[in-house]
Amino acid sequence: MPKWFTPVAIMCGAMLALSPLVIASADYESTMGLVQKIFYYHMPSAWIFLIAAVVCGVASIRYLVTGDPRHDRTALAAGELLVVFGLLTLVTGPLWARKAWGTFWIWDARTTSSLVSWMIGCAYLILRRYGGPGSEKLAAALALFGMANVPFIYISVNYWRTIHPATSVVPKLPFTMGFPLWFCVITFVLLFMVLLKLRVRVEEQQARVDTLYLSLDER
Amino acid sequence: MKTMKRWCAVLSVWMVWGMMVAAQQPTRQDEFVPIDQLPPQEQLAAAPLLIGAYAFVLVVLFLYVYSVARRLTNVQRELERLDTSIKQGGRA
Repeated sequence: MPKWFTPVAIMCGAMLALSPLVIASADYESTMGLVQKIFYYHMPSAWIFLIAAVVCGVASIRYLVTGDPRHDRTALAAGELLVVFGLLTLVTGPLWARKAWGTFWIWDARTTSSLVSWMIGCAYLILRRYGGPGSEKLAAALALFGMANVPFIYISVNYWRTIHPATSVVPKLPFTMGFPLWFCVITFVLLFMVLLKLRVRVEEQQARVDTLYLSLDER
Repeated sequence: MKTMKRWCAVLSVWMVWGMMVAAQQPTRQDEFVPIDQLPPQEQLAAAPLLIGAYAFVLVVLFLYVYSVARRLTNVQRELERLDTSIKQGGRA
């Protein structure tokens, strides 16, 4: 493991343990009250969901261009994280919406495009798991569609009619709400780095095992 | 192949459920009722939703970390076993 891994993992664990206290100290939002505090885990999850889609897409492009299996391993690890953080986003959002909007789900541009992106992530993992030999390149092409959806998800709330909060909410947050949010964003970014590295490590070791089996067969 | 069929069945059920949810229309409102006049069972509390959301995030993250750690341990154990076999000159 690289030198940065252990300190970052410890820091991430400590920040994750502290985050409920930081969130509890945040001010209540005037119209939504207590339920608005779901936002402090929902939004960082959503950002990591989008970052994972971009990492998966970029690594897939590099794999398609160079054929280097290291990029393929990174893409697979990021694809798995896309599905995990996408699930967190798509569950915490409706729990907040039930109170704020009066319904768990509406089919607007933001929610629908996020669901489509998550389903592309699931399709990527299913293809990798059951696609057989050569499915890596097909899955890499699928990951490009997942990445292409990211800007659409981000700007959807600004261009289409929706009741989902706009992207302008974040820069306008007062310090008492902004600090907990950025604390959680940093925590989730560190968590993403740690999990990505661990997951890539699993694939690296698996590749070594496969190589050893091949060398044994050749004897 | 069996697993693939199972996945297809799960996805089909999920898509049918999604279409049913999409087809649902909210009922028209005939009168406005102040929230404090609602019966207690219809007043939606925020705390269960908030606790549910945080519990879900922490449980999913814990399960994922556990799953990755278990996979890493298994693959490292297999690697050590193969290394030992190769050093002994035999087949694993």
